[in-house]
Amino acid sequence: MPEVSPAQVGTGPIAAPQMPDDGIVVVVKRDCPTCLLVTPALEQLAGGTEPLDVVVQDDLEPFTHLAGARMDTDLDLSWILDIDTVPTIMRRSGGVEVDRAAGWSRTQWERLTGTADLAPGLPEQRPGCGSLTQDPAVRSGLRVRHEGWRLAARRIQISALDDEMESLFERGFTDGLPVVPPTPVRVLRMLEGTTRAPAEVVAVVPPDLVECTVEKVAINAVMAGCKPEYLPVVLAALEAACTDDFNIHGLLATTWFAGPLIVVNGPIARAIGMNSGVNALGQGNRANATIGRALQLVVRNVGGGRPGGVDRATLGNPGKYTFCFAEDEVGSPWTSLATERGMAEGASAVTLFAAEGVRGMADQTSRTPESLARSFAACLASVTHPRTVIAFDAMLVVCPEHGRVFAEAGWDKARLHAELAELLLLDTDPLLAGVGGLDMGLDPKWAGHKLPKFRDGGLLITYAGGKAGMFSAIIGSWASGPIGSQPVTVEVRS
Amino acid sequence: MSQAPMPDAGLTVLDPTGERSVAMRERLPRLDTLSGRRVALLDITKARGDVFLDQLEQHLVRRGALVTRYAKPTFTKPAPVDLRQEIAMQCEVVIEALAD
Amino acid sequence: MFVASTEFIDAAATQAAALGADPARVFIPHPIQDRTDDEMRALADAAIDDIVKALTGS
Repeated sequence: MPEVSPAQVGTGPIAAPQMPDDGIVVVVKRDCPTCLLVTPALEQLAGGTEPLDVVVQDDLEPFTHLAGARMDTDLDLSWILDIDTVPTIMRRSGGVEVDRAAGWSRTQWERLTGTADLAPGLPEQRPGCGSLTQDPAVRSGLRVRHEGWRLAARRIQISALDDEMESLFERGFTDGLPVVPPTPVRVLRMLEGTTRAPAEVVAVVPPDLVECTVEKVAINAVMAGCKPEYLPVVLAALEAACTDDFNIHGLLATTWFAGPLIVVNGPIARAIGMNSGVNALGQGNRANATIGRALQLVVRNVGGGRPGGVDRATLGNPGKYTFCFAEDEVGSPWTSLATERGMAEGASAVTLFAAEGVRGMADQTSRTPESLARSFAACLASVTHPRTVIAFDAMLVVCPEHGRVFAEAGWDKARLHAELAELLLLDTDPLLAGVGGLDMGLDPKWAGHKLPKFRDGGLLITYAGGKAGMFSAIIGSWASGPIGSQPVTVEVRS
Repeated sequence: MSQAPMPDAGLTVLDPTGERSVAMRERLPRLDTLSGRRVALLDITKARGDVFLDQLEQHLVRRGALVTRYAKPTFTKPAPVDLRQEIAMQCEVVIEALAD
Repeated sequence: MFVASTEFIDAAATQAAALGADPARVFIPHPIQDRTDDEMRALADAAIDDIVKALTGS
C-alpha cells in the first residue's frame, strides 16, 4: 500500500490543474479499447471551434496528434474530477462542469458537444473502462495526497526496522489483542463511512474528559478492525456512552464486572451484516466484534481509561474486549428494544447497557407462557445476589424457541414485562440479613414487605439467537438508575 | 559496487490518544493550624464512608476546626460543578472520603 | 485532600496525572466494605494524625 510521509501531506486541498472555463474535457487512458475506439470522434471535436482538453491518464502516445491532449500528472485532475470511468466527457461552462457522460454513446456525445454526425464510422455505443483512479493501490495514495491534510492527529513514524504490530503494543494502544495499524489512508477510508467532519467533536470522553473528534473515533475504529460502514454505529455508541445517564466514567472505575454492551436496532444492523442469530452474543461476526471493540479502544486511548489505572474491576469480564449484538427484528414477535425506548419505527439506533457477563437460562420443558415466565423470574431473582432488590438492572435476551411460546399464546412484550414484574415482587422475609445463617441481606426493618427485584424500567427485554435451543440469556448490570448507569438509546446518523 | 543505504520508509500511523499534555495545578499552601479554619468533609457516598467521616469530624472539631459536611449525589460520578463551587466558596480545605 | 483505601493508590495517581490536580492523599488499609462501625471508627482514629499533617504540615 503506498504511504505518504508527513512532509508530503500539505495543509490544504491540492489545486486543480488548469482547465478551460468553457469547452469540452475528455478523460481517457491508452489501456482502454473504448478510449482508442473514440479517437476519430476526438479528432473531429479537435477540429471544431470549441476548446477541447483531452486528459490522458497513462500514455499520451496514441493521442499526441490531438491539439488539446495532455498527461494527467499524478492523476490529480482525474481525482479532483472524481472520474470513475474512461472515457468520460464533460462540458464546462463559466468555469464549472455542467454535464458529463461516461463511456461512448453517440447520442450523448452529440448532445453534450452540440455536434451532429459525430464519428459516423463508430458503433452507436460502447461501455468504457475503469479509471486508473479506481485501482485500489493508486486510490489509496491519491486519497492521502489529496485528503491527508484533513487529518489533525499527530503522525507517529514507525521505523521499517520495527514490527509495526509490536510497536503498537509497546505504545500501549491495544486492548491486549493486535490492532490494525491506523495509517492515514485507512483512517481516510474509514472517514468515508460518515458525512460528519473529521474535526467535529462527538463526545467528551472520561476519565480524562477529552473532547473526542470524529477523526479520533475513526482512528480507533480502524485499529479495532471496523469497516467504514460501521463508523456511524461506533459514533452513536460513543455519544450514548458519554452521556451523564449512561455514566461510562463510573462504569469504568467500578470494581464491579460490568462494561458497555451495545444493542443495535434498525436497518443499519442488517445493512452492515450484523449477527442477531446463531451465536449472536459470541464470536465470529466482524461487525459485532469490532464495533464493541472500537468503543472500548476509544475509552482506553482517547479517554485514558485503562485497567489498573482508573479501571478498577476486581475481575472484569471478557465482554470488556467487545460486547455488541443486533436484535433479531425480523424473527421477533415483539416491538424492538429501540422502538420500545422511543425511537421511530424504521430508525437505526444503539442502546448502551452496563453489562456484566452472560448467564444461561435453560428451560426445555415449559410450553405455557405462565410456566416459562416463572423460569425467567426464578433465574432473574439471583442477579447480583438473591438478596439484592432494586439495586441492579438486568437484560433478558429471549431466544426464538422461548419467544415462540409467548408468541403462540399471544403475549406481547408489555404482557411479559407485567407478568415478570409481578413474579419479581419479592417477599422480603427470606431476604433479611442473617436469615438461614447468611449475614448478607436486607435490613430487618424491611420485614413483612414486598419489594421489587428491579426498579421500574430496570429490566430490558431483547430478542436474538439461533432457532434451535431453549436457552435464553440473562445479562446482569451495575448500580442502576441515577446513582449508577441507566440504559441510553441514541439514533444512528449517517 | 557499493549501494547507498535505503531510506527508512517505515510506516506512518496516526496517534489514537487524546494527545493531551496536562499542566499540573499547584496545591494551595498548607494551613498553620486547623483551629478556627473552615474544613469541608465531602462524603463520596460509598457504603461505610459515613461512619469514618463521623469519627473524623469529631477529631477535627476537637482540634478547633469549623466542619461542614457535604455529600456527592453518587459515588459513581464526579461531583457536580455546583457542589464544587459551594465548597470552594464556603471552606478553605476539603477532605474527600472514602474511596475503596 | 482525599482519603482512600490502599487499593486505590494507582487509581489516584492516574487520575491526578490526567486531570492535572495533585491533592494530598492519605490511604487507609483495605478492605472497607465488610467493616463493622467500630472498625471504621478505629480506622479514622488511626488516620487523623496523617490527615492533619497533610493539611497543616505538622
